[in-house]
Order: sequence, then structure tokens, then C-alpha cells
Amino acid sequence: MRLTPRKAVSALLAVCALALSLTCVSGCKKAEARKEGEIHIGFSSRDLSAEYTAKMSEAIVAYAKTKPGVKLVMVDAQSDVQKQFSQVENFIAQKVDAIILNPCELEASTPAVDRAKAAGIPLVLVNQVTKSAGDSYIGSNDFDAGRIAMEAIAKKLNGQGGVLMLHGIMGTSAQLQREAGAREIFAKYPGLKLVDHQTASWDRAKAMALTENWIQAHKGKFSAIFAHNDEMAMGALLALERAGLKKDVTVIGIDAIAQALTAVKEGRLDATVFQDAVGQGKGSVDAAILLAKKQPCPKETLIPFQLITRDNLSQFLK
Amino acid sequence: MLTLDRNLLHRFGLLLVILFVGLALSLLTDTFLSVANFTNVARQISINGILAVGVTFVLLTGGVDLSLGSVVALSGVACATFAHPGDHSVFVPIAVGLLTGAACGLVNGTLVTLGGVAPFIVTLGMMTIARGLALIFSGGRPVADMSNELTALAGDLFGIPIPMLCFAGVAAAAWFFLSNFRLGRHIYAVGGNENAARAAGVPVEQVKLFAYGLCGLLAGLAGVVLAARITTGQPNAGQAYELDAIAAVVIGGTSLAGGVGTITGTLLGVLLIGVINNGLDLQGVSSYYQAVIKGVIIVGAVWLDRRQARS
Repeated sequence: MRLTPRKAVSALLAVCALALSLTCVSGCKKAEARKEGEIHIGFSSRDLSAEYTAKMSEAIVAYAKTKPGVKLVMVDAQSDVQKQFSQVENFIAQKVDAIILNPCELEASTPAVDRAKAAGIPLVLVNQVTKSAGDSYIGSNDFDAGRIAMEAIAKKLNGQGGVLMLHGIMGTSAQLQREAGAREIFAKYPGLKLVDHQTASWDRAKAMALTENWIQAHKGKFSAIFAHNDEMAMGALLALERAGLKKDVTVIGIDAIAQALTAVKEGRLDATVFQDAVGQGKGSVDAAILLAKKQPCPKETLIPFQLITRDNLSQFLK
Repeated sequence: MLTLDRNLLHRFGLLLVILFVGLALSLLTDTFLSVANFTNVARQISINGILAVGVTFVLLTGGVDLSLGSVVALSGVACATFAHPGDHSVFVPIAVGLLTGAACGLVNGTLVTLGGVAPFIVTLGMMTIARGLALIFSGGRPVADMSNELTALAGDLFGIPIPMLCFAGVAAAAWFFLSNFRLGRHIYAVGGNENAARAAGVPVEQVKLFAYGLCGLLAGLAGVVLAARITTGQPNAGQAYELDAIAAVVIGGTSLAGGVGTITGTLLGVLLIGVINNGLDLQGVSSYYQAVIKGVIIVGAVWLDRRQARS
């Protein structure tokens, strides 16, 4: 048989269809009839490829499993506001008892919150806020994270010296608040100078290239780098180590991802700020259950940030 | 002879733009014109350079490859998975990364030739498939804990960054290949006029398959180099890398319609983009303005270049 393009394509499609149906046999069960008293929760995660969000989302799924009579479905918005909006609409159409939303964006995710409200379905915001308030918010105040990290830098430098700041994606609520928190510390210590600041979009490779360029431009003029997250802190750290400058420069990030903790342990990274992913995840499930049962639930639960250095590291390493 | 002259003008036009940008930067900052900073630029353009050389081949055949960034991420993850200290010799992760890239490229090539699907669609599909596979294999988390032997790939050899040596080697081989091998000339023929090439006995399908396969292989190499540089395999790395690579190739005078273009042009395109990125950082230009300035310089460079080539 001669393989014409048309035959090749139809064969390929057939294989795909077969594969799809096979995964369906094993994977997707038919929507089961809803049992009396069962609580259905829909959870839309911002982006499962981001380490912090993945950790928090896993905690949400695992914790919901331990609650009898609770069925939680998780979907991944992959940082796409539009996609997340449709996911929330689907939850509303399925008439879930509560929605947990880990919003993609401050402004653009607001319509999704309003839509759930209009449908009368309770909505819990986790980790990030939107313009419209949900029925409950579980998170940490990013303003504090910026303050804690910069305060640690100020102490390390005795309030004197040049600082570089790596921003997250400009305009995200975490970036705005972490910057505002850091700026408050600059105002408090007049000896601290912000030598340069620029976005590296939460990305390690970008942070590394930017730091390499900064080393050329400002060598000797800075003694600390504050990164809005650990991925960027790791990038800055690699660039400094390669240039042999790490011993002169303090580097601090936020999030306490696994690699950052290892780097703190090895004495490479000076500190990171711990955001309690598991605590936030569990809190949001508890709130969703309370709201689904129409029981009172606090409007806001703030889980505090903590500075991790070599001295208190052992509490956080598991 | 005529085409040679045009290419020469192309190159001079672009060279003038680069010299102008370079001159402006060295006047504005005292750090731009230094050996340390040149090493720095060299290190930073290597990954885009390797990708740009690969995609030059595909663009020359009249195709396009939009899957580069995702293939970089997938190859990086695959490489990092096999690079834990003490697991394998350093050649295993490198080979795994390269083969992963080549496999993606060959799938692209097969679907374009045998399947007859437009390259834009095929590689758009591969873009999301490879990204998805990278997320699946890594569980969505960066793959860390890479051996020192592998991360040493991002270090220096006799004071020259190894990524730069990879880029230079790849570019030299590609240049030699395109100008001296029969298959190299076939690539131009296929992109220039596919039917005429077929009538002249050029094995069009094999030539295209080769171009996509090579482009994938080089994306695999870029993935390995990136993983070594950032000491992890990141499933979300390489976003939009294809755009910078294709921009560099087009700035370098390669036609999106295929059949026209050179490796030297691509090198100059890569250099221009690299110098702009580095220079704007050195200047401390705000991120918002950086994006605008970069876009204006890229479009301006191509416009000047084409105008000069016509006259």
C-alpha cells in the first residue's frame, strides 16, 4: 500500500482518537449522580507550572480528600485570564456549592468573581486578590513580604549601601505590593540607595542576564540584590557566583522554594521569605466548606510571612 | 554575481546599524565598550544564536518553526532529568537533550512533508505539545540537582564562554555546509521554487525533513545549554524564544518566502538583538521603554537594510 498524505493523516487521526478513547476508559468517569449532603467545590488554579502555586494547589487537593463528603475538582488556568473566566462559568453551570479561585490578575479576573456572585455561589479567593472582594480571602499580605526582605537587607548592610531590585511581572498584585513594601524600608533608611531596578518577569534566565548586565554597569556600587521571588534570586545568585562577587553582595528572595532553601542551607543565598503554601491551601478549603454549609466564615484570613536564614532553617526543611 | 552584490549590501547596511547602535552605547555608558561586557554579550546571545541558525534552514526552505521555545524547555527538562550527580556520564544527558530536540524536529518535518499540513499549523501544534510534555515529565516543577560536569557547560574554556563556542561552532558548520554541500544548495532550491526543484530531481521531501530535523536538534542543544546556564530544567522556560530567533534571521536578510538568506546575515541579526538587550540594561532604561525601543530598532534596521538593498 502506498502511503499518500491523505491516508497518513487519516491514520494519524485514527490513532489519536483511539488513544483519546482509551484514556477516557481509564481516566474520565461519567458525572456521577450527586449524593445527598455532598459538597462540591470547584477550584481554579492560576498556573500549575509555577512552583509556589503548584505546592499550594497540591495542598488544596490533598486536604479536600481528607474531608468526608467533599468533592473537589481542580482546573489549571495556565496564567490565562480568559481561560480562567470560562472555568468559573463552567463551575457555575455545574452548580457547585463553592468555588475556590486563585486569580490570574487583580483587575482582569474581577468579572469572574462578579459572575459567581450574581449566580449566588460562594467564592473564596486564595493567594491573590481581585478588585471585587470574594466571600472570603485567604492569603498573605505581599506588602509584608517586601518589607521583611528589605528590612533584612537593611540590617545586613547596617543601613548603608547600594541595592538592586528585580521586579516580578509588572502590574501583578504580588509585584506591586512587594515593591511598595520594599520602598517603605528605603524611606526608613536614608543610607540605602536603590541603584537600579528592572523587571525579570519572575524568570530565572532573564534575572541572570539582567544581573550580568548590572555587574557590568554598576560593579562596586551595590552590595545587595532584592528579588521579588526566589526564581529570580537564584538567577542573580548564579550570575554573581560566576563573576566571583557573591561574597560582597547579599541576595534575598521570596517564596522559600525548595532550591532556595537548599541554597540558604549551603550558605549561598542569604535569606528567603517563607510564604505558607500549605497553610493558604488548607485555609481556603476550610472557608469553602463553611460557606457551602452557609455557616459564618471570616472575610479575611492572613497567614503571616517569615524570614528564613541559616539560623532558623531547620524548622522549614522537611 | 548580482545576488552576491545584493547580499554584500545587505550585510553592510546591517553592519552600519550595529556599528551605529554600538557607537551610541559606548558614548552613553563607559561600561559597554569593555572586554568583560563583550564576553557578557557573547554569553547572552549564544542561545538565541543557536536557535536562529537552526531556524534559518527552515525559513530557507520556505517553512517556519514556531515550536522552538517549547522544544528548548522540553529538551532542557529531558536533559536535567538524566543529569543528577552520579547517575550517568555527562554525555548521557547531553545526548538525551539533543535527541529530544531532533525527535520533535523530525515529527514536524514528517507532518509537513508526508502529512502535507502547513508548517505554521504543524509547528504551532508542536509548540503546545512540547510545552505540555515538558510539564508532564517534570510534574510542573523545575528539575533541579544537576551534576557539576553538566553545569560546567555554561562556564568558560580558556576565558571564552562555552555556550559561545557552541554557537560559533554551529554557525561555522552551518555556513560551510550551506555554501559547499549539495544538500545545502538543495535547501535554497526548495525554498526558491519547489516545483522547479522537484523537476530538476531535487528530493524535496528529504531536504525539508533534514531542515526541520536539524532545527529541532539545534533547539535541543539550546535547551541543554540553557539548562546548564540556569542549573535546572525549567518546564516554563523559553517562552517566546522563537520570536527572537525568527526576528534575528529576518533582520539578517533571510526572506520569509524562502530561498534567500545567509548564515552571516543571521549572525548579524543575533548580534543586533543581543547588543540592544545588553545596552538598554546598562543604560538603566525602564522595562516599559525597553520593549518599545527594541521594537523600533528591529523594524528600523530591516527597513534601512531593504531600502539600501533596493537602491
